[in-house]
Amino acid sequence: MFIRNFMERSMIDRRRFLIGSALGAGTVAVSAGIWPARAAGTYLLASSIRSLSNAFHAAWNKGAEAFASSVGEGYSALVTEGNSEKGIADIKALLAKAGDKAILGVDPNDSPDARPIVEAVSAAKSHVVTVWNKPSDLHPWDFGDNYVAHFSFNGIPAGEQTAKSLFDTFGGEGGIVALGGIASNTPAIERKAGLMKAIEATGGKVKLLDFQDADWDSTKATNIVGAWITRFGSDIKGIWAANDSMAVGALEALRAEGLAGKVLVTGIDGTKDAVQAIRNKEMAATVDWDPIWIGGIALSLGYQAATGKFVPSKEPQEHREFYGTGVMITQSDVEDYWKTHVEATPAIDWNDLWGRVTGQIKYS
Amino acid sequence: MLQLNDITKNFYGVQALKEVSLSVRVGEVVGLVGENGAGKSTLMKVLNGIHQPTNGSIEINGAKRVLRGPRDAATHGIGMVFQEQSLVPNISIAENIFLGNEARFVKFGRIDWRTMNDAARQQLAKVGLEVDPNTVTADLSFIQRQMVELAKVLTLEEAVAGNLCILLDEPTSMLEQAEITILFSVIRKLRGRAGIVFISHRLDEVIEISDTIYVMKDGAVVSRMEKAEASPSRIHHLMVGREVAASYYKQEERQRPEKQIALKVRGLTKAGAFEDISFDLNQGEVAALVGTEGAGSEPLIRSLFGLEKVERGTIELNGIDLTNVLTDRSVAAGVGYVPRERKIEGIVEEMSVQENIFLPLARQATRFGLFDFSRMAKKTNELMGKLRIKAPDRSTPCVNLSGGNQQKVVLARWYRTGARLFLLDHPTRGLDVGAKEDVYSLIREICAGGAAVILIGDTLEEALGLAHTIVVLKDGMQTARFDNTAATPLTPLDLIPHMV
Amino acid sequence: MTVTRLRLASVMPLLVLAGLCVAISIAEPRFLSIDNLIRIAAASAAPLVLALGATFVILMGSIDLSVEGSMAFASAILAACVANANGAGLDLGLAALPLVIAAAALFGALIGVIHTYLRVPSFMASLGMGFVGLGIATIMLGGERVGIVDESIRALALTRILNLPISIYVATFMLALAWVIQNHTRIGRRMLALGGAEQLVVASGVNVRHVRILVFAIAGAFFGVGAVLASARLGASSALVGSGQLFTAISAVVVGGTALTGGSGGVLATLLGVLIVMVLNNGMVILGLPTFVQQGVLGIMIIIAVLLNQPIRGLAVAK
Repeated sequence: MFIRNFMERSMIDRRRFLIGSALGAGTVAVSAGIWPARAAGTYLLASSIRSLSNAFHAAWNKGAEAFASSVGEGYSALVTEGNSEKGIADIKALLAKAGDKAILGVDPNDSPDARPIVEAVSAAKSHVVTVWNKPSDLHPWDFGDNYVAHFSFNGIPAGEQTAKSLFDTFGGEGGIVALGGIASNTPAIERKAGLMKAIEATGGKVKLLDFQDADWDSTKATNIVGAWITRFGSDIKGIWAANDSMAVGALEALRAEGLAGKVLVTGIDGTKDAVQAIRNKEMAATVDWDPIWIGGIALSLGYQAATGKFVPSKEPQEHREFYGTGVMITQSDVEDYWKTHVEATPAIDWNDLWGRVTGQIKYS
Repeated sequence: MLQLNDITKNFYGVQALKEVSLSVRVGEVVGLVGENGAGKSTLMKVLNGIHQPTNGSIEINGAKRVLRGPRDAATHGIGMVFQEQSLVPNISIAENIFLGNEARFVKFGRIDWRTMNDAARQQLAKVGLEVDPNTVTADLSFIQRQMVELAKVLTLEEAVAGNLCILLDEPTSMLEQAEITILFSVIRKLRGRAGIVFISHRLDEVIEISDTIYVMKDGAVVSRMEKAEASPSRIHHLMVGREVAASYYKQEERQRPEKQIALKVRGLTKAGAFEDISFDLNQGEVAALVGTEGAGSEPLIRSLFGLEKVERGTIELNGIDLTNVLTDRSVAAGVGYVPRERKIEGIVEEMSVQENIFLPLARQATRFGLFDFSRMAKKTNELMGKLRIKAPDRSTPCVNLSGGNQQKVVLARWYRTGARLFLLDHPTRGLDVGAKEDVYSLIREICAGGAAVILIGDTLEEALGLAHTIVVLKDGMQTARFDNTAATPLTPLDLIPHMV
Repeated sequence: MTVTRLRLASVMPLLVLAGLCVAISIAEPRFLSIDNLIRIAAASAAPLVLALGATFVILMGSIDLSVEGSMAFASAILAACVANANGAGLDLGLAALPLVIAAAALFGALIGVIHTYLRVPSFMASLGMGFVGLGIATIMLGGERVGIVDESIRALALTRILNLPISIYVATFMLALAWVIQNHTRIGRRMLALGGAEQLVVASGVNVRHVRILVFAIAGAFFGVGAVLASARLGASSALVGSGQLFTAISAVVVGGTALTGGSGGVLATLLGVLIVMVLNNGMVILGLPTFVQQGVLGIMIIIAVLLNQPIRGLAVAK
């Protein structure tokens, strides 16, 4: 039964992330539907996320589980599979079951989804926190205490800082190529804007040879970088990618040419293989959003509002619509990060609700 | 080698075959003729093991056999060449010949193409076809494919002890004259080693190739004659000879047509289908197109509706030119078509009576671009009453209706669009007597309303019973035109000489 | 001895490929450099293997949309069978490959069984099973990317023989294997006949269900090989290992000239189709076309390919 052994080890890997959790084995879920609530508490906590097969949302889910078990409440994960209708329907089903006892951390599949979700939650007198996507004219303070908060991460500084550390690897003068995400996504737009800002700041010393959208996809990135090597050859001094999947794909093309480690790559998101590549000196930098923190703190905000620890409507607007903090990881600090965040589990204080606020979200 | 004794086959109380006895000897070509529905294809299916006879027995090479399907029939030496060819188009000739029996050519998991092609060549030699067995079947001409089919059947010679009986179901229907000659020479060559049953609608061919001819009518063999006694007209009389019951068609209730011309057809020609057809049709007049199978009536009626293109000639309805238009134009101009294949072109079975009635020109039933359901419902109920459509209500799916009521739904559709020309292609096919009478009376009502009708009848009697004018076609040519309103009614015997 | 017909439709993809290469190299001579051609070949390896599997299913007139799920499943099995980052693999090294391919073939066979015995249309059966495959992989991998540590597997992507990556040799071998299956085995000929006229094959006494199941199993095995190549390239096993591959595989099959209705086309046509798609991808980046133009060109290409492959049917409306 090596398969079972393998799966258990995969899960032990997961459990390393969980803080003080006392989870039993066998708590895995297929990537669809509602997870059964596993502890009978007063509240029903839930995360609505895209899928469990991508590392970001898997970690989100871990953080959410960790918070739920730290307060001894039931928890379930709702998976949208990239389908807005499914996402909204699942949330409504959960509300029908939990009434005003639901606490939701939601990554809306698309910005417009946030409105019906928030309205349904307010109508049920439950509590919701949204992350990443919402329409710019939808604000938590317009819904009293039920729409507790919305937070996001500013892609502009992330794109800018990774670009700067990329430029440093080749002395700040030369050509780079860049891989973008799906062109219409807000993070893709912001991160690209950050890159452009960094290039502008060099006053023409760094040239952007080409920018292509690889749609966040690793395989596409590999093939595009292969073609770039044909087109630009040794003019390429560095490769900037809008996320880690594409960065790792770019790295793969470099490895095939024996260029890995000579031409450096940067990504954003802080996935494990990207961090490993930074340790191997093949990548220069990435930014960790700490999805474990996102998953847990979203529920913590909702839970504390529901249990009366704070009253949302009495908080300032920058506590209700704010940017979180990304942590940049570079070759100089990657070993520390590896020790504290990968080999060990960073202790997160779920009661520190606003410790990572870096300002109110500005909509341009 | 093959002997059928008193074969009877009942389907749900209907006798499809009535005590049919038939014998085929090696060296003999047996011709089998009859109208559509006379029971030929049922008989073939019995011989092929697809149907089991209700009564009677089959003897092959002297032993009684029960045939349990085409494969079983084949192991007893009965091979069939179908009307629709049964060769897979995109694989080679050799593969088709041995499809399902390739096992003996497989060595170590690989097909031994050389051996297979050699074996195929041997089979092809039997029918005298000299082509590379590696050729893709779709690249062959129709007659060559027919030869391959024969060769495929002849592989049974090696597999079966005893003689073969080969059934040829309308093998000539798609062939040119020269190709028919080739086919016949092959059939004559094969005669020495097998018994052959030959089915065809073309009577002269049947007489030419057969030694013995069986004529079927209404599920029974009505005559068995030797080649010497046979003539096309004699056979035809036997096939259709039925009492003419003018009263059944209520000929006397026909309305007189008006004097005003509705439809003008001039020099209509479509290569391989019909040639130089011209006639006029008055309002309120019924014209019947008659002819043997494949004489051209069906392509003609479909061309009038716009389903097939013509090469030359003009069609004009009440002053509107309808030559080679798409069906939306002809419908808009007031043409209604009741197709032969009711379930393919006539109605959408899954849709309700109302939806089927409102299929064409649906815009007429809309208000501000949306369906006006109350008006549609009113109109549907009115038509259902007028045409005596028996259905629980207007939302009943047509699949639940009887054939006759389905046909009335098709007619109701053209009633609604106010059609001025009804093209009726076998409107009573497959209907029971009562339903037929209903359809006949509707046709009379259509005429009384001043619309013109072109009809292809199921039988000659039907055509004669309903039509004011009879247009006779033979091999795509208009061979005669009869006025059927004279005091002494026409009979099939008047028409047959122009048909064959 | 293959059965081929030289018709405009079948030489068209070859002309298109040659035309593309000429046009791109006129605009940018470096396109034809040996290094770039090797890059295109390396990029084509995994898509080719996947498209070959899909070709078989399409040839018999069905479709297999499980490419991504089957790959995820196979990739997860692979991670479990070799030394991996979570330390619980069986560490079989290269001996894991037959196991992975067999598992993938079994997965394909299961799609075939659902399709034939439960009478689920193939596109639904394969789509559904694709999600099942993704689900299984997600559970097995805990939603993570599990790094593959085994050097022999990594070598499939990184080692070069005669300056060519091993994946190119693997893909060439699979192409030859596919060609033999199509032209020299009973199953190969039957799937072609099935695509031509199913009723007639049934009437010839062939057990069509078994043919279909076997073809889905063969396709599954090819997806398994594709998953191994992709995982080796990624250096990790992930449920998303196949993402984006379904579209590439199916469009390559269609562009190559295999009819979606089945019965015509084949593995060599698919080779051309994959090369056309990959040359186009590579060439458009080399020419520096913006991404949205690239996507448009690819889409138009597919529509044109389908048009070229269709017999002209007058005014009939295609459904």
